[in-house]
Amino acid sequence: MPYEMIALLMFSSMMLMLLTGQRVFGAIGFVGAAAGMLLWGVGGVDVPFSAAMKLMKWYPLLTLPMFIFMGYVLSESRIADDLYKMFHVWMGNVKGGLAIGTIGLMVLISAMNGLSVAGMAIGATIALPELLRRGYDKIMVTGVVQAGSSLGILVPPSVVLVLYAMIARQPVGQLWLAGVIPGLMMATMFIIYIYVRCRMQPHLGPPLSEEERNVPMAEKLRLLRAGLLPIFIFASMMVPFVNGWTSLVESSAIGAMTAFLAAILKGRMTKEVFENSVRNTLAISCMFMWIILAALGFGAIFDGLGAVKAIETLFTTQLGLNPWMILILMQLSFILMGTFLDDTAMLVIVAPLYVPLVGMLGFDLIWYGILYTITTQIAYMTPPFGYNLFLMRAMAPPEIGLMDIYRSIIPFVGIMIVALGLVMIFPQIALWLPEYVYGK
Amino acid sequence: MADALPLAIPAGLPRPIRGYIRSIDAMNRFIGRVAMYMIFVLIGILLWSSFSKTFLTPTLWTLEMAQFVMVAYYILGGPYSIQLGSNVRMDLFYGGWSVRQKAWFDSITVFFLMFYLGVLFYGGLGSLSYSLGYFGLEPLEFFWQLAVAFFTGGPEAAGEILGFLERSSTAWRPYLWPIKTLLVLGVLLMLLQALAELFRDIGRIRGGEV
Repeated sequence: MPYEMIALLMFSSMMLMLLTGQRVFGAIGFVGAAAGMLLWGVGGVDVPFSAAMKLMKWYPLLTLPMFIFMGYVLSESRIADDLYKMFHVWMGNVKGGLAIGTIGLMVLISAMNGLSVAGMAIGATIALPELLRRGYDKIMVTGVVQAGSSLGILVPPSVVLVLYAMIARQPVGQLWLAGVIPGLMMATMFIIYIYVRCRMQPHLGPPLSEEERNVPMAEKLRLLRAGLLPIFIFASMMVPFVNGWTSLVESSAIGAMTAFLAAILKGRMTKEVFENSVRNTLAISCMFMWIILAALGFGAIFDGLGAVKAIETLFTTQLGLNPWMILILMQLSFILMGTFLDDTAMLVIVAPLYVPLVGMLGFDLIWYGILYTITTQIAYMTPPFGYNLFLMRAMAPPEIGLMDIYRSIIPFVGIMIVALGLVMIFPQIALWLPEYVYGK
Repeated sequence: MADALPLAIPAGLPRPIRGYIRSIDAMNRFIGRVAMYMIFVLIGILLWSSFSKTFLTPTLWTLEMAQFVMVAYYILGGPYSIQLGSNVRMDLFYGGWSVRQKAWFDSITVFFLMFYLGVLFYGGLGSLSYSLGYFGLEPLEFFWQLAVAFFTGGPEAAGEILGFLERSSTAWRPYLWPIKTLLVLGVLLMLLQALAELFRDIGRIRGGEV
């Protein structure tokens, strides 16, 4: 059988296995293990286990449990809640100001953790009810919280980029730096959209009432202190790292410890918070690790087939497409898949196939990492299946229905697609900062 | 996220099967909860690493030790994460099914999962026997000989069977057999948990209170 056929068969049987609803790691692992044994007999038996050794030796993976732990400590202990008050007081005077403040809040929270859970938790349970009470349009604010929290995986530290780095064999530090400017650019685009929209339709985001606006200056300044916490946590990780005192992994442990200590000092580390954050960290870390383990085994066999080369030849010589057309087709299919596939699954299914292909077409893999992450963000938010959609439904106040959540994301997904296009056309948006810092 | 309470055991199953589910659940829950706290060991090792690097002589052992702890964390925590229901599934169709339909599908597809775990287990045994100095192709035979020697001639006789012990190729040069043993053990625990899940699903199909 030609290698393209075997590759295609592996792929379609994996899709079929996934559709049965068995645990994702089992579905991927099974197809990898079975294909290995069919192709290479006894020699193929060792492949899944050697993936475990490969996983162990991949040093940056240690950051994964650290950042997951940090994210859960922040979201369970609610130490970032004061941040909301700060933005509330400072931004309330502007039309749509609270929504703009919420985006700012999300950027700060994103700089403290690598998943979108923490931002979602704070956004949906604190910002949302407050905004609704002040007459903000519920569809708009729902969209604001979802779009804002999705920045968590683009602004460093980012767990998605750690996973990408593993598959693409690229340095995590550079990928994280590459995410900074696109992340801030996207946040700015959200803010401009909210501002313009609320200018044109003031009823969507009314400014605060007279008495609420009258906060004494001293109080306003006192609330600014809330902003110190994220800056402190971020600095505790980044200062030793940038100065070369610690490695990225060690920095992530410092960040986890700082967040944990901050929660204790603020008196929020109750028994329940402790139990929930430690248990959820284990659950989510295990989920990620077992999927990566299975995907590495699958990928090793896929690589061994030379399947990627075969697919590349198919596209470039037989179909006569140029690299850019292939790249655009890939992103489109990625978005399309994201609308009906589970996101974690998509992450590990798409990456082993797309990433080597992108490299072979001659594109920069750091740059593609950012495209990949933005596309994942879109996938996180698009119905019917989206991690953020489900989180939102679980956390948001009851008056927000599923249809509201679905409708709310439309303009923001539009903005994200524009951002994706901008980064595609102007790669320097992503690449300037890492090149500047690492002096490439 | 599922709650941390022990899982229900269907009443319609024979007593030994229920006993099996109960003991495997309890064992894996205990092991998983021990693994759960290893996150602090991991943080501790990495903090010591950054501290000693900045103020003392950089240590050789922290990096690999942290990797070993991480492996223990996710391998031993795996069965507990299955109990917690945190392993994602693609729920395009699955999400819409009834409890019984889910149980039907799972009780079939869990064999695929067990196949994968079986291959992992066998590959792990091979790799473990290699780390104990056996370079042949029959790891099961090697472990059999090892066990026989141990029980007839004691530790010394067993030591005779062992060959060159594999070490990691770093400056610290730790032996690799302990972590490989842990990996094999963890995969075995996963298999036992998967079997318990199969029994649970059969119980759900047969009805009776869950």
